[in-house]
Amino acid sequence: MSSKRYGHVINLDLFTDSYRVTGRAVVGAGGIHAALADPNSDFLELEDAYISRIIKPGEIITSYALVAFRKDNINFIVLQDRRDGVPVGTQHGRSVFTRGRAVSTFLTVPSFEIKGDIHHDGQLSPRAVLVHSMGRFQPIFEATASASLYPDISYSGDLILVQKERIGIFCLQSNK
Amino acid sequence: MARIYVIDDDEQLLRMVGLMLQRGGHTTNLIGNPVDGFDQIMADKPDLLVLDVMMPNMSGHDLARKIRDTPEIEDLPILILTARSQEIDRATALESGADGYLSKPVTSQELIEKVDDLLTQKSGTPKTEQGIIIALYSLRGGVGQTTLAVNLASSLRRFSQKEVCLVDLSLSGSQASFHLRLQPRTSWADLLAGSTFEWAEIQKRLIIHPSGLRILAAPALPQLPTVLSGEATTAILETLRQNVAFVVVDLPPVLSSAFVAALQASDMAMHVITPDVIAVQTALNVNRAIAKANVAMKYKTHVVNQTTTEAPIAPTAIEKALSARIAFQIGYDANQPRALTQGVPLTLTNAQTVLPTAVNRMAEVIWQRVGKQE
Repeated sequence: MSSKRYGHVINLDLFTDSYRVTGRAVVGAGGIHAALADPNSDFLELEDAYISRIIKPGEIITSYALVAFRKDNINFIVLQDRRDGVPVGTQHGRSVFTRGRAVSTFLTVPSFEIKGDIHHDGQLSPRAVLVHSMGRFQPIFEATASASLYPDISYSGDLILVQKERIGIFCLQSNK
Repeated sequence: MARIYVIDDDEQLLRMVGLMLQRGGHTTNLIGNPVDGFDQIMADKPDLLVLDVMMPNMSGHDLARKIRDTPEIEDLPILILTARSQEIDRATALESGADGYLSKPVTSQELIEKVDDLLTQKSGTPKTEQGIIIALYSLRGGVGQTTLAVNLASSLRRFSQKEVCLVDLSLSGSQASFHLRLQPRTSWADLLAGSTFEWAEIQKRLIIHPSGLRILAAPALPQLPTVLSGEATTAILETLRQNVAFVVVDLPPVLSSAFVAALQASDMAMHVITPDVIAVQTALNVNRAIAKANVAMKYKTHVVNQTTTEAPIAPTAIEKALSARIAFQIGYDANQPRALTQGVPLTLTNAQTVLPTAVNRMAEVIWQRVGKQE
């Protein structure tokens, strides 16, 4: 582990197609979203990472002090505090991620379905949300991810960051 | 005060959890490695273990399972404290044998409450056939102690629907009776004339309030502190313990032998203080006097009761001054003077005001922690 750290340490749950990895990442003021958007690296590094299989997510199968992930292979990341994920703004105004009205959303990624809210400013359309929003990960606030084949297994967080390229179904504005 | 072992590979978190527990009045042993931790637990047999999950070499789940499979330490209460905060993680922690689960980050209050909860469960488990004695005390008058005792007893009666007895050990007249609009014709003083403190004798001296609450009243006329001995107090309380589910004792503000005996007999001693300088200073001196007198209490806690509209001292300042945690806080309730005049405790009404809400919560916590084990 590096002795010199810049930024602060956050805890996160990261999901690939078959694994759940709980670990820590060092992030700057832009949160993990900025690290994921960093064009200088295709990898995200975690410290003290504990790995579980998705079908037995409570059981730790192995752990390593340092683990790297190809960003392309990350399906989504669950955070307990939105401030760890994206800048939320100051008392003078919200950030680009939290500005606008909350819109309920439902989307799917491989093995999981995710429900929550997006914050959107302007005319609402899936294209506007997915194409014009910043970065390769879409922030879903107050979100829950449920395993499609094991609906009893779910993960909740103040913020879930979803890899846009992994999204299969994307729904906006619940009728319920 | 309990001996608590904490096992976490994160040195900073380990120290922080240790400080929180020490502030809650416990002694700690901080261990950074689960393998060493198991050996130390086997050797020392602590009162409780706070355990991280994500550790190299051995996970907290594996250590919890190993402890449960080891007969010498299989009963050790285990609290899992982990950054894995999902519902599945709670379920996995409990399946591995843990008694409790908290997710990081945790506040000092959450941690101490959970630890106290587990310790109370542990100490309360063997006494399945006996009642629980709860003593309320303060050596400063005017802190609303009798109000709390009467309301707590009434609330416990409502919650549990079991036999609850309020024992008024006041030496300055039958204070609790005023709160319940009773005019007792008998009191504990009549018991002292007899030679035994059998249940049949005590039963004859109990008054039954319309709510079902039983009261062992204090004599109407003020008494000398020497009238009620420590032996008699212990005998009366132990007999009551055998026959009712909860005994709530309102102690006199006098450091007498009866006062000491009641504290020692109690399963839970509640030190009632008001949020002002004199009360806090008095409470500090009471704690010192009790320590000096070697009074052994099974479980002691502080209750802050605000009896005036203003609270000159904040709860955190009181906790700092007393080096102890405040378990319950009761805010000022403007309805209490009227309740006293009417002789109806607020917890027996449907009032949703500050005092009944807080005392009902207190009764609910006590009932959940100890009462349901019956």
